[in-house]
Amino acid sequence: MYVVRPVEAGDIAALEALSAVTMPGVHTLPKTRDKIEQAVERSLASFAAQVDIPSEESYLFVLESLSERKIVGTAAIFASAGSNGTYFSFRNDVIQQVSRDLNISHSVHALTLCSELTAYSQLSSFYLDASVPEGPAPALLSRSRLLFAVQQPQRFGDRFFVPLAGVTDENGGSPFWDALGRKFFKMDFLDAERTIGGARNRTLIVELMPHYPVYVPLLPGDAQAAMGQIHPSGEQAFNLLTEEGFEADEYIDIFDGGPILQAHKHALRTFTGSQTLRVRTSLDAAPAEGPLYDYAIANNAGPGFRAVTIKSAELEGCEAVALSPEIQDILRVADGDSVTCVRL
Amino acid sequence: MLVVRAINENDLDALYSMATQVGTGMTTLKPDMQMLGDRLATACASFAETIPPEQRDYMFVMEDTSNGRLAGVCAIKGAVGLTEPFYNYRIGTLVHSSRELNVFTKMDTLYLSNDLTGSSELCSLFLHPDYRQGYNGKLLSKSRFLFIAQFPHLFTQKIIAEMRGYQAEDGSSPFYEGLGRHFFKMDFHHVDDLTALGKKSFIAELMPRQPLYIDYLPKEAQEVVGAVHKSTAPARRLLEQEGMHYEGYVDIFDAGPVLQARVSELRAIRDSDLAVVSPDTDMTHACAPAHPEPTLVSNTILKDFRMIVTQATPVNGAIDLSTLDQQLLRCHAGDTVRTLPLNVRKNNV
Repeated sequence: MYVVRPVEAGDIAALEALSAVTMPGVHTLPKTRDKIEQAVERSLASFAAQVDIPSEESYLFVLESLSERKIVGTAAIFASAGSNGTYFSFRNDVIQQVSRDLNISHSVHALTLCSELTAYSQLSSFYLDASVPEGPAPALLSRSRLLFAVQQPQRFGDRFFVPLAGVTDENGGSPFWDALGRKFFKMDFLDAERTIGGARNRTLIVELMPHYPVYVPLLPGDAQAAMGQIHPSGEQAFNLLTEEGFEADEYIDIFDGGPILQAHKHALRTFTGSQTLRVRTSLDAAPAEGPLYDYAIANNAGPGFRAVTIKSAELEGCEAVALSPEIQDILRVADGDSVTCVRL
Repeated sequence: MLVVRAINENDLDALYSMATQVGTGMTTLKPDMQMLGDRLATACASFAETIPPEQRDYMFVMEDTSNGRLAGVCAIKGAVGLTEPFYNYRIGTLVHSSRELNVFTKMDTLYLSNDLTGSSELCSLFLHPDYRQGYNGKLLSKSRFLFIAQFPHLFTQKIIAEMRGYQAEDGSSPFYEGLGRHFFKMDFHHVDDLTALGKKSFIAELMPRQPLYIDYLPKEAQEVVGAVHKSTAPARRLLEQEGMHYEGYVDIFDAGPVLQARVSELRAIRDSDLAVVSPDTDMTHACAPAHPEPTLVSNTILKDFRMIVTQATPVNGAIDLSTLDQQLLRCHAGDTVRTLPLNVRKNNV
């Protein structure tokens, strides 16, 4: 059994162990103990804060294996991307080339530095330990952030995006960076990422990155091929997010060309398909009639947020969901409390 | 003997046969009877001053008087870009700098521009291969400067010349392959043909409107920005000696350089002089310097402008021209002519 919950101060050592095994260039977790401590403190403060307008809050969730009493995954959501600045990305524009006189009609792609994703809520830091089996747990981890957003809409924007790490070679080089950012920054990809700390909201981006559209056909083939391509480590997240309703192709990362998935919340299944139900205690373990489905189910306890997966018959049209005492215990709910459910 | 003269109505057939010799790459001189006929009509109207100065197109031909053949052609357009847009790339500089990272990047950038709109243009220079010797190339190219010096009021302040851009052995343009092809999806020569048909502005409208960082172009394309075609290098040198220079404007298709000058800065304006033709006598021969320098001499009649290169040198405002020279120029003793040393004066100090 896995549970998703807000990070706690006691998780710092476990997070440090997790961050030690993440890939270079993949900015999922802070790398140093100081940074991890800061991230945890910021998350605790964010959950505790009274929020009317989303701002600098950053909520960090962990996936805990209850049987092993061990942290096996992380996922975060920033209330407002680019806080204290602007979130920069490349917008993938299509320019129509049409001349009736010359009988020419085709399209040319161009990348334009833009700040449109600023103030979107940003999903990030999705990381799963290799020991977590396929099945409902990865989806639970990815979805829980959005379940929390469904419960607390005032804490988040109406639009969400997720940058996924782009393609890098075994030395940590990025063909997209080499063709584009390097010409302006004059440094290696990893050096640049280290210098900027993975941030996309720094003034120096405006100072250095191209102000004019970059015409894609002018980029070398390997850089073009890397545009919108995900690092293999991000494949699972990509699949989960596209199932959720996120769309790729419109924006890419300014450094490594990795895809930035984005969606209005009304296009996301967690928002459109979730329902609030009352808890009913089920004592008999006998399965209900009809087919069973995986559901993510979360309490509505703010800083005490807990989410698990259950197998249940179709809940569409129901007013209550039957939960075993054991599940109620994990979720810290009792008969009659309301919970948020979404089918996985 | 060779004379460069204003073109006239009787030159059409000879002009056409010369145009068949030109080959690809020269967009303003294609063997097309209709186009050449129209152009000739404009040129005749220009010399006759029946159309306004900015519409004029002064064409000159080099004629071999021994057999009546045309040996070459060149032209000056009164103004470019006034009926359809005249496009160039201007090479500008963009600096990207971050104090925080201690990074300072200076990027050359191509800006699509119409900056040269309204300039007078030197164009359509072609010398038949049989005549590529001696002073002939210089005479043909420089004759236009003498014309401008004689009639500066007919031209705008700025004069330009587009030079053919660099081409690889196989006739392809590395700049076009690196840039234009992505936007037109057609061959360079096809674009060239369309340009000749007066569709250059149509094509230009398909060019990227936003500035382009030269660093993004393939290396081969970057290297030829502002470089001339191998066979155009001598022509470029001639124009540079006359006071024209490259100021960072290039052709949008092949990146060939645009040379430009203020009319007032042309050597022909500064160094040419009027002289009176002396009677052809032994007396004046005796006054001639021992080592004469070749001199460009023209008459001063717009309608029947004529130029030759001669060994005679003007002395004290008079020039001793042989009877034959006078016939070529259609002038007589007592007439005024304009003279300019053919070669740039070496500084002897």
